[in-house]
Amino acid sequence: MEKRAIRPFSGDTVTLVLMIALAAMWILPTIWVISLSLRPNMDLMRSTAGLLPIPFTLQNYIDIVSVSMTPRWLLNSAIVAIGTTVITLIVASLAGYAFARIAFPFKRTLFVFILCGLMIPEQTIIIPLHAMITDWGMHNTHAALIAPRVAMPVGVFLMTQFFRAIPLELEEAARLDNASRLTVFRRIMLPLSIPALTTLGIYTFLQAWNDFFWPLVSATNSNMYTVTVGLSSLQGNFAQTEGLGFIMASAVFASLPVVIVYVIFQKYIVRGIAMTTGK
Amino acid sequence: MASVRLRAVAKNYGAVRAIHEVNLDVEHREFVVLVGPSGCGKSTLLRMIAGLETISGGEITLDDQVINDVPAGGRGVAMVFQNYALYPHMTAAQNMAFGLENIGMAREEINRRIAHAASTLKIEELLQRRPKAMSGGQRQRIAIGRAIVRDPKVFLFDEPLSNLDAALRVQMRIEIAKLHQRLDATMIYVTHDQVEAMTLADKIVVLSAGRIEQVGTPLELYHTPRNTFVAGFIGSPKMNIIDGKVAAITPEGVDVETPSGRLAIAAEPAGLAIGDSVRVGIRPEHMGVGKPGDGLAVVVEVVERLGDETMVYGTIGDGTSVVVKLDGTARVRTGETIPISVAATDGHLFTMDGEALRRTPAALEGLFDV
Amino acid sequence: MSSAVSRARMVRLRDGLSALAFLAPFLVFYLLFLVYPFGLGIWISFHDWELVGSFREWIGLWNYEDMFADPQFWRAVRNTLTFAAMTVPVMVGLALLLALGLNRQTRIHGALRAIFFTSNVLSVTVVTLIWIMVLSPDRGLIAQLFRSLGLEPIAFLASTTWAMPAIVATTVWWGIGFPMILFLAGLQQIPGELYEAARLDNASPWRRFTRITLPALRRTFVLVAILQVIGQLQIFGQVLIMTGGGPSQSTRSLVQTIYETGFADWQLGYASAMSLFLFVVMFVASMAQLYIARQED
Repeated sequence: MEKRAIRPFSGDTVTLVLMIALAAMWILPTIWVISLSLRPNMDLMRSTAGLLPIPFTLQNYIDIVSVSMTPRWLLNSAIVAIGTTVITLIVASLAGYAFARIAFPFKRTLFVFILCGLMIPEQTIIIPLHAMITDWGMHNTHAALIAPRVAMPVGVFLMTQFFRAIPLELEEAARLDNASRLTVFRRIMLPLSIPALTTLGIYTFLQAWNDFFWPLVSATNSNMYTVTVGLSSLQGNFAQTEGLGFIMASAVFASLPVVIVYVIFQKYIVRGIAMTTGK
Repeated sequence: MASVRLRAVAKNYGAVRAIHEVNLDVEHREFVVLVGPSGCGKSTLLRMIAGLETISGGEITLDDQVINDVPAGGRGVAMVFQNYALYPHMTAAQNMAFGLENIGMAREEINRRIAHAASTLKIEELLQRRPKAMSGGQRQRIAIGRAIVRDPKVFLFDEPLSNLDAALRVQMRIEIAKLHQRLDATMIYVTHDQVEAMTLADKIVVLSAGRIEQVGTPLELYHTPRNTFVAGFIGSPKMNIIDGKVAAITPEGVDVETPSGRLAIAAEPAGLAIGDSVRVGIRPEHMGVGKPGDGLAVVVEVVERLGDETMVYGTIGDGTSVVVKLDGTARVRTGETIPISVAATDGHLFTMDGEALRRTPAALEGLFDV
Repeated sequence: MSSAVSRARMVRLRDGLSALAFLAPFLVFYLLFLVYPFGLGIWISFHDWELVGSFREWIGLWNYEDMFADPQFWRAVRNTLTFAAMTVPVMVGLALLLALGLNRQTRIHGALRAIFFTSNVLSVTVVTLIWIMVLSPDRGLIAQLFRSLGLEPIAFLASTTWAMPAIVATTVWWGIGFPMILFLAGLQQIPGELYEAARLDNASPWRRFTRITLPALRRTFVLVAILQVIGQLQIFGQVLIMTGGGPSQSTRSLVQTIYETGFADWQLGYASAMSLFLFVVMFVASMAQLYIARQED
């Protein structure tokens, strides 16, 4: 406690009050939107003032589940995000292990070649990617939404770094214990990398769930929309719309999965970000 | 039976030769310690026997089978690593079982072996714990247990005690010695600590810069070191090495004129002539305070009183540092010059190249009778 | 000797094959969905290439010549740079302040950190939806505030003066958590002993801040700034959804222009040329990051 307190500007009350005030401002829009989603649409036509959901209704949420496309879009998002995460974890940990622990010709060259991929943002290849998927007739499929994200090399990089930090002695002990490479990978390396896999998994999941540009151009059939794209399709000039509460409810509903993931795995997300500083 | 033979075994890292054509025999049930300063190649040699390093030249045989091309797991050797290398996500029992599962051993047999090893090492209560929940000494026992359950032909130890604190190290050292007696197994043990080497070994192999300097029993190495490197490495504190010139050759040996007095050494003068430069080696524990004018005149710089003994650090005429070990009541004060006497039969003589001259039969009498 | 050599060769071969087996799954995705499209993009940029149909004609550097002569393109570049120039300093400065203020391990500080970070996990669609509502001149939160103060509400997103700052505010609200956490990680790596030593040396809080905290954060600061530049140059979703590039093109960004050229005007060749321009800009920024990271080590 004492140690912390002598760090400048983090201990005093004035700072704390300022931070609380700023945080209140920060969270205000979110609370307001949640509150709007819990009020009847008719009431919202009159006024959107007030932060409390009075009068209160769950009708907007019931409408989402019963009549709207949102559940279908949520399902698409779930398939894409979970599929991307699972496949990324598998291919990235396999490749990371090879880079970290197997000696093979041209290893450095190949590693650098894959690192180069880090410098190619999604936006710069989206046009040719779209042309390629068009040629293959694969638009409006889940596979087309998953594959390009799996190709991103961040996971390989992360897993390589992580595996390198596992003591070599463990693997040597396993070799003396008659373990094959696959056994070492499956029974020693993977169990030891659960923290890294969790971090990478959450990250991949959030990124895939929130991806906007690629699903926007690839999933053009409203049945194949992810929830991110679906919501944007609702938004013409919605601030004037009659179904304001309904739209707000859709936004809240669509965010629930990521917020739940965030709340459960907060620790890993923070650690994952800290890892990007490269320590 | 489990004997290991190394024939002209060499290891290259690129153009650098780490091990120079080493020949070594390890007999059945023998406890062999490889000892030397860090970087001398002792661990590399052990890892080559284990199959963790490829062999650049020569042959390693285990029970007369060449094992150069046999993968690590198939050699029938088990290794205890410096940092234990326990699988952190497995309990002690799972750690021990892992290697046996990999060769498809039946569950009952695995359990029987673990129970047996656990009772040998008195680690029954640790079996369901993970390494994180154990002390260093406990982890060390589990690591040894993991080696025991495999019932290997040869046990390999790679500096297994270097991560333990001093008291625990002594205790584990004794336990390993007992284990060797009980298991009757062939063991090869790497350490940089000459005390471990002296106390554990049937046979010590002293290595330096990828070559074997000398192989012998602990007492052979202590009493008849082949050169100044071995002389300096075995024994603590280190043997004092003093430069001098041959002054006389007598029936009992050689008289050497040092910068601080004349010393008689019971060594064979093979090839020496009067006036030749030589090196005298005297262990600190073989020095005593003599009559004025006797032996070596040593200027005392620091006196350490350890209770039962007194360590005196001083210099002689040409500035060479010497260490003298006296008894606890020795009357020595900083700054004074004391006459140090040495029995002729306790001295060692080396050529300027560091090669030892043979000690006379009189000097060796009774030394190996223990 | 020859057996040793053949054994070494055998080990190398076996290792090479297992490496290939471990690498192959990722490499298939990487080559097919990243490397190939990147190459294809370069190829397409030398063509007049339409989205639908098979009209593909080699036109050499024309797309690039067109691009550099196109006022629409330069306008988008200018808008993007303006946006980044406004967003990055606010983001970096505010994130640093938040990190300094929240660098304590108490429950309340943890909760406050969570509040600032939570918006970061929302998708761009949800974030823009929230902010379109907040900024709405009829029913928005800010409009309500203005009215209660007796002021006329502003239609922020329809104003050439206010649209860009409104998008900047939205972006800062969305993205502040990430740089804040980076700064916090940097702060936590400063050993507490340094501050204790400084206090024994009679250093005031301000001096402790300027002489210990700031120098120790230099590396993090540069990293955060460059990551922000790289990120903000790619702005797309916010403008597409909030203003559609308007009013009167004042917020149209480079990525949005690429999107519209490709998917509204169906000019894939031209859009690819602009994509590559964007790539070169990003590449320079990434290289700057690598260069600086190496300098620090």
